[in-house]
Amino acid sequence: MSDRQQENAVAVGSGRVNPARNGTANGGRVPRIALRDIRKNFGSLQALRGVDLDIYPGECLGLVGDNAAGKSTLTKIISGTYIPDDGTMHLDGEPVRFSGPADARRRNIEMVFQDLSLCDHIDVAGNLFLGREVTKGPFLDRKTMLSEARKMLDALEIRIPRLTGKVAQLSGGQRQAIAIARAASFDPKVLIMDEPTSALAVAEVEAVLSLINRVKATGVSVILITHRLQDLFRVCDRIAVMYEGTKVAERSIAETDLEDLVKLIVGEKDER
Amino acid sequence: MTAYTERGQGSPWADFLSEQAQVLSIAFFFLVCVVFFAVTTDTFMTLGNQLNVIRQAAPILIVAVAMTFVIITGGIDLSVGSQVALVNAVAAITLAAGLPWPVVVVAMLCFGALIGLGQGWFVAYQGIPAFIVTLAGLSMLRGIALYLTQGYSIPIKGVPGFFALGRGELFGIPVPALIAIAVAILGYVVITSTRYGRQVVAVGSNMEAARRVGMPARWAIASVYVVAGVASALAGLLIAARLGSGSSNAAVGFELQVIAAVVLGGTSLMGGRGTIVGTILGTLTIAVIGNGLILMHISPFFTQIVTGAIILIAIWLNTRIFTANFRFGFARGNRP
Repeated sequence: MSDRQQENAVAVGSGRVNPARNGTANGGRVPRIALRDIRKNFGSLQALRGVDLDIYPGECLGLVGDNAAGKSTLTKIISGTYIPDDGTMHLDGEPVRFSGPADARRRNIEMVFQDLSLCDHIDVAGNLFLGREVTKGPFLDRKTMLSEARKMLDALEIRIPRLTGKVAQLSGGQRQAIAIARAASFDPKVLIMDEPTSALAVAEVEAVLSLINRVKATGVSVILITHRLQDLFRVCDRIAVMYEGTKVAERSIAETDLEDLVKLIVGEKDER
Repeated sequence: MTAYTERGQGSPWADFLSEQAQVLSIAFFFLVCVVFFAVTTDTFMTLGNQLNVIRQAAPILIVAVAMTFVIITGGIDLSVGSQVALVNAVAAITLAAGLPWPVVVVAMLCFGALIGLGQGWFVAYQGIPAFIVTLAGLSMLRGIALYLTQGYSIPIKGVPGFFALGRGELFGIPVPALIAIAVAILGYVVITSTRYGRQVVAVGSNMEAARRVGMPARWAIASVYVVAGVASALAGLLIAARLGSGSSNAAVGFELQVIAAVVLGGTSLMGGRGTIVGTILGTLTIAVIGNGLILMHISPFFTQIVTGAIILIAIWLNTRIFTANFRFGFARGNRP
């Protein structure tokens, strides 16, 4: 493990390729986002104890680990909600330091929250443009927003019949699709998804997974947190395993399987 | 691969009805009241009486429009009655001191905004529940008004321009009513068609979501109390202009009438949902009931009982019948 971390550090400095990732076709590229030695404490609790992580354009990274392993804290640091106590973050090779979620969003880092963060009393188009309303003079430009919303959903092959309907009337899968479409449609560089499939029916899970693949195909770096390990093998290129605030392993999808992942997550460090 | 589970689509007409059920039910209620009083009294439908109703309803409507904003954010402003009284009293004092009336009007509107900003700061930035902050405001502001006037009514003399605000007419319609209509239209446009209105609804619907998408969520919450403050100041000025005096005992129970009107109009106290059209209808319903009962020579004390009962019944109908289990025939479904 420590070997790999050292190599990561070297890889950034010299542009050398980490052997662990040879299979994922990221050779020589600058990572979209690179985290080095990220630490975060909440009082006496060490939530993150020095995490290194690279994510490349057009790649989906699965982030797994038990509850309280630090997955959420790490994604909240990437999305600007938390400020790390220590460590550095590089976006496309440039050092960055976010002042808050709005700052991260300005730099095209989007997050799909587990609770979806939709406003039930606002219509579908309004939710897609929430916080980015198109205006004509002092007024909302409803017509443009409706037609743009239709285009956004069509591009991701999401079918919602009535865009003027309130979000509360939609099914769980449709709500999830809207939350993803909102994050994916404004040219994100990094898209973080927290448990996007946990509350969905089977058909809806399939739809969301293929949606993630389509988003990934547009060159977006996707970070996927999920407890549904079988989903990882459908969409991810790499999987990072968190344990007690550290990254204990990183596997390319070709060199791991379900059993291996479960062992890594529960802490039987069976380095292959 | 697009295997979304889609719900069956009913007719858009049914969607419209269920979305507008709240407003439609209060509209129905309003018409019933109007027809009832038109039949039972001779004077109700006369032009003079109608103008009187809207003149009296004007201050309530102005503040109710602002209160709709406050309640849509999930808050409440209990202090509007005291704000009206304080502005009412201070306006009278400053006019008596000889300040030109346009200056007083502008100064009072700013004063209302300042009061609202203070309360909004406590609610939005200090996280104290709106109920507590404005309950304190209700007590303090009324107290300041009482202290300034020592409980006396202060007469306003010799400012015809100011009196025109409360007593004047334009094209046969009372000026306060015209101002109230303008405020209602402005409120309607702002809440439905501006970015600010969208922020107010978003904050009431899902505060955390609004914050996460980068909306100025705290400021949106604080700002609705500023709106309520300005509206209360305007109402206070209109009342002072109509009565020709300023009194710390003006607008007692005003906040309850305003909140009743807003809630009657279908605005949810949980936030997120509310319409200005509903508020207008709610205000008019309360005004018509008050007016009609007086015309029927029923004891004015009885008016309060009836108003309260009607609010309870209307809300009961709204929440139990016109929402989740909305049916035309009442035949299907197991209504609770």
